[in-house]
Amino acid sequence: MSILSFFHWVQSTDFMSFIRESGLTYPIIMSTHLACIAVFGGMIVITDLRLLGVALQNRPIADVVNGLRWWKRLGFVIMASMGIMLAGSKAVDYYPNPYFWTKMSLLFLIFIHAMIFRPMVYNHPEKLDASPIIPTRAKAAGALSLVLWTGVVCAGRLIGYYEPPGQKGHVVSAARK
Amino acid sequence: MLLLQTNAIADALNSSEWVFPIAECFHIAAFAWSIGMIALVDFRLIGVGMKRETASEIARATAPWTLLGLTVVLLSGPILFLSDTRMYLHNPSFRFKIGALVIAIIFNYTIHRKVALSDSSSAGVKVLVGIISLALWISVVFGGLFIAFA
Repeated sequence: MSILSFFHWVQSTDFMSFIRESGLTYPIIMSTHLACIAVFGGMIVITDLRLLGVALQNRPIADVVNGLRWWKRLGFVIMASMGIMLAGSKAVDYYPNPYFWTKMSLLFLIFIHAMIFRPMVYNHPEKLDASPIIPTRAKAAGALSLVLWTGVVCAGRLIGYYEPPGQKGHVVSAARK
Repeated sequence: MLLLQTNAIADALNSSEWVFPIAECFHIAAFAWSIGMIALVDFRLIGVGMKRETASEIARATAPWTLLGLTVVLLSGPILFLSDTRMYLHNPSFRFKIGALVIAIIFNYTIHRKVALSDSSSAGVKVLVGIISLALWISVVFGGLFIAFA
């Protein structure tokens, strides 16, 4: 099965058709996606800022990382669930959209980031606190996280601006109505 | 109003198809940044998240970053608004959003700030203030998104 035919199947399921066709469901899911980015995004930002040494400097890194770990995971699950519904209900439209694939690639890089930096940074924050200065690997993790997540947010917004060939002006006017 | 609509700023904003999307990216990244900082305080007031820090410690540490984010939000927002003032002024979601935003900002720098910085407030008051703050900011986000749908 090709990716495109898989996308056709996803979009045609009853669940995804319902989201696409009911007037209020789609914008409510999208608003929830966006509100979660705001409410839970701060947890990522404060962790990154602490790793960089520019916020909460007088508090242990372990407090920030350990205190927010499960809340960040909860936020990610809600955000990703909403995202799958948004993309799934319009999967065929998303297939040719370069911003969608940019966003997916950045999310993949975030997965790689986690694989690399979890054992080195996030799983043992007390080791970072034991060091007299914040280790470079922790600063690198924080900086890369900020850049990647900002990229995800921007690529996500730009998905709405892609105009398939032959439909110039259509999507922008709908997005800005 | 027609004058405002057709002024030079709107022309500049509409001359390139990239100005509006880029301003929107700044707007979204910055509101996520600033609301996210405020939400950290709200979660702590409610009693979850960074529980080894006090609400006042979190409020003090996040305040400059919240202000930075809000500044970018309040600079990028008018750029979006000026691109099509007439549409926005007649849009019920936009009016709701601006109303919620004004209340949220005032609340944040008065009651929210006072309760967050005084660790002696009662638990009930803290939880209530945290919930009101989260509800206000989530309303602003919902209002903003529904501009494109209502």
